[in-house]
Amino acid sequence: MNRIVKFYHELGSPPSFYRITQHWLKPVLLLAVLLGMYGLIEGLFFAPEDYQQGDSYRIIFVHVPAAWMSLFIYLGMGIAGIMTFVWRMKVAEAVMMASVPIGALFTAITLLTGMLWGKPMWGTYWDWDARMTSELILLFLYLGVMGIYSAYDEDPRKAARLASLVAIIGLVMLPIIRYSVVWWTSIHQGSSISLMGGASGIQDWSMLRPLLVMALATKFYYIYVLLKRAQTYLMKTEQNKQWVRNIVSPNDAKEVSS
Amino acid sequence: MRFWTLLRRDVLVAWRKKSGLYQPLVFQLLVVTMFPLGLGAGAQTLAKISPAVVWILALLSTLITFEHLFKDDYEDGSMDLYYLSDMSLPMAVLAKAMAHWITTGIPVILFAPIIGMLLHLPNQSFGILLLSLALATPIFSLLGAVGSALTMNLRNGGMLISVLVLPLMSPVLIFGAGAVLESTLGNSAHSHLLMLLGCLVLAISLAPVTTAAAIRINLE
Repeated sequence: MNRIVKFYHELGSPPSFYRITQHWLKPVLLLAVLLGMYGLIEGLFFAPEDYQQGDSYRIIFVHVPAAWMSLFIYLGMGIAGIMTFVWRMKVAEAVMMASVPIGALFTAITLLTGMLWGKPMWGTYWDWDARMTSELILLFLYLGVMGIYSAYDEDPRKAARLASLVAIIGLVMLPIIRYSVVWWTSIHQGSSISLMGGASGIQDWSMLRPLLVMALATKFYYIYVLLKRAQTYLMKTEQNKQWVRNIVSPNDAKEVSS
Repeated sequence: MRFWTLLRRDVLVAWRKKSGLYQPLVFQLLVVTMFPLGLGAGAQTLAKISPAVVWILALLSTLITFEHLFKDDYEDGSMDLYYLSDMSLPMAVLAKAMAHWITTGIPVILFAPIIGMLLHLPNQSFGILLLSLALATPIFSLLGAVGSALTMNLRNGGMLISVLVLPLMSPVLIFGAGAVLESTLGNSAHSHLLMLLGCLVLAISLAPVTTAAAIRINLE
């Protein structure tokens, strides 16, 4: 128990966060690339064709993992936001602000691949179906967090605290928005086209396996980019601190000390 | 006691300034004119989209008033005094949001039937329109307070307020415009109105606290 508590406190301090995560970067990146390559190659070339959608269903191997990530990262951002707001932890700030662009990117990928998938399947790029609409609103929520942060660029700590508040509001509102949108579509359109129900619609293991591998690959990709961005964020906000100087120009630091 | 003083002061300030009172209404009138021009004026088409248009106009015309909800108080220093006084900040926020509702929400509610009439909203829907707006305009003011407090010391936060606040308004729009739409089809709008009431309860309980938190961060 003691070790875990110590580890947690170490992660909370920017210099040791940098030191610890520096060791994780390479293995995580390697896992992301390997899993991603395996998942994509197996999904795009070797998984069996869908009996109804033919080959065009294969976009699922990008679309669904991206959609999972868009929500997963939002949750991560919200939790980091709560930690930022309550404890004012610098590392939590970094993790939150590092998550935002990645989450927004995955949301945009989800929307884009969804549109490309919709054209051959439904005959239209865009349909105001519940999932698409709430995904679009999710993108707006990400943009709100980004917008408030960049508006207060002269004071990054204040900006991060305000952004954390926006993230928390979004986290609370997301289920309400989600359900109201689902309800709205059930009123408007009797026969709304439903997307494949995630993995539950897939029975074949050889289709499911690449999907799950891709879900893992995107997780590792997220962790890698998150750590890298969080490190950069911390170095930027603490640029006058000694630990950053030691990392940026180790020789100078030695000269000064000698 | 201080609650009512603050409320009275804000209403008085808005009343003497006047512009805040009629700006949303002029905006609505201008935009509503564009609809028939753009649509090519079929009375039936207008009636069909009227619930949505009346509602979106009410929403957008309130949106343009949010920017100055806290900004003026922040700039002349009154905000620091609310912060330092022994009145609880969420209560001060509630008073300001209520004053905003009285000075923009009520005019918008009262003006909505005129807009509805211009768009050939079916007769049976006017009651539901008034009721749904009466439930929703306080939510507008409360959510607007959140957005306004988050952006109060930015020089041009108007666009940012829209990005922050509009996604949060989407459930309100869904239930509000949905209620009016159901009534035009001759269905009961009961469930929609109850959902709106639920949103209102949630907004009254959560928005003042959130706004107060944003103000505290901004004043630090």
